[in-house]
Amino acid sequence: MSDANADLCFTPAAELAARIRKKELSPVALTRAYLDRIDRLDGTLSAYITVCRESALAEAGRAEQAVARGERLGPLHGVPFAVKDQIDAAGVLTTAGSRLLRENVAASDAPVVARMRRAGAILLGKLNLTEFALGGTLDFPYGQPRNPWNVAHDPGGSSSGSGIAAAAALAAVTLGEDTGGSIRSPASSCGAVGLRPTWGLVPRTGCIPLCWSMDAIGPITRTVEDAALVLAAIAGPDPSDPQMRDAPPDDVLTGLRAGVDGLRVGIVRELVSGADTNPDVRAAVLAAAEQLRELGAKVEEISLPLVRLAGAVFMALGDSEGAGAHQVWLRERASEYDAATRRRLIAASLLPTASYHQAARARALITRDVLAAFARVDILLAPTQPRPAPVIASGHAPVASKADAAARFFTRRSYTTPFNLSATPAISVPCGFGPSGLPIGLQLAGRRYDDATVLRAAWAYEQATSWHQQRPALA
Amino acid sequence: MADSSSGADLSPAEVRALAVTLGLTLTDDDLSEVTHRLNAMRDALAPLADLPLTSVEPTPPTP
Repeated sequence: MSDANADLCFTPAAELAARIRKKELSPVALTRAYLDRIDRLDGTLSAYITVCRESALAEAGRAEQAVARGERLGPLHGVPFAVKDQIDAAGVLTTAGSRLLRENVAASDAPVVARMRRAGAILLGKLNLTEFALGGTLDFPYGQPRNPWNVAHDPGGSSSGSGIAAAAALAAVTLGEDTGGSIRSPASSCGAVGLRPTWGLVPRTGCIPLCWSMDAIGPITRTVEDAALVLAAIAGPDPSDPQMRDAPPDDVLTGLRAGVDGLRVGIVRELVSGADTNPDVRAAVLAAAEQLRELGAKVEEISLPLVRLAGAVFMALGDSEGAGAHQVWLRERASEYDAATRRRLIAASLLPTASYHQAARARALITRDVLAAFARVDILLAPTQPRPAPVIASGHAPVASKADAAARFFTRRSYTTPFNLSATPAISVPCGFGPSGLPIGLQLAGRRYDDATVLRAAWAYEQATSWHQQRPALA
Repeated sequence: MADSSSGADLSPAEVRALAVTLGLTLTDDDLSEVTHRLNAMRDALAPLADLPLTSVEPTPPTP
């Protein structure tokens, strides 16, 4: 592929849409450029499970005709997107990354897919994920997803393909789903922008559930403005999802460039200075806090002692709900699961109900602390993950002890899950690279339904730095 | 079901017996990891007993 085509594919979606509206760019040519890039790179990266080549080109042709006819165009008209293969698109497989759903063809579009189409976007395909969005998959049935910055490393999960496709420009924008960090983790690992919206802002119908009280669909993109554009397209009530807030979503675009002067930002001490946080990650996140201070934010340190327990509390709740949903298949089709998925779900099945009950109360305490913090500050700041992406092989070693299990499965989840447990919005934006050249993510969280302020802070930081302009050197 | 406090670790035999009550089959490889995971989870949740849990209701957020 020529450098010109790579430049085109890495162009922010907002700019692509503007060029299409001005008739400077053909939706067909753009779609072909992404399909060519997928052909060239995805054999190694395994971001996609299904590529909708023919339907994407047909949609692009119709989009081009609409431009030529001077029709009223949506904000993402002609922009190719892809979605995590946990989310339905009519007539296309939804596998959830599992052998158990290898023949599961969706009858209709999930509301988020329908809304992206209504905004004019063109569906390129369905993206790889850890099995049933649980994380830790050992044997990916549709290909091992790989980090575009170093293919020996993990891309993060569970929305692995969404992170890869955004970072490697295999789609203009993508959708992921975040129950315990599954949008922010791959965004952080792959050097992309990932927004978990406020729980209740985006309808989850047509998305295979993991944990009903925490599942949230959101964008993974290359820029904060693109994340805001996608959120604006997919947010808002839908009668098919009873857990939605019954109110129009706030405008997240108008104030995006308003800056952070006077914004109060709290550095979460336990997540930034804790012993589990890698020194390079700590340095990058503190430098980001300093950058926000230079932009006019009032930065202070804030303590949330209970966040250390968030990973375990999340797993007690989320895994128990997941295990409940999978009980019949665990009994009847256990061998079809990936071994790690099966073991995680069985362990959760055996957790006493009293532990689940304790975790539910602990969730309420963590939520109370997080919401109380937002009485003092507008934004909470922390690393998205305690360290850059590990090598894939490290996750394949047998679990040797309970200490090994705790280190591998609980610790890192305490960085993202405080905001899942408290149903608050959080974004990951690139804030540097570790010594081995792998990206580091900065996490910014805000009050419930104040996604606009989270995006505004992220945009201000992004524009003051150049991390988002870095591209992985793909062969 | 096991007690909710951490206490002594569950043995592989106890974990297998618990699984059998739910109709779940464990391979030997599964049994080792499930035992480590379950004991790690029980340890990780043990500090919850020291929190003022009765001061809040165990209800999830509402939209």
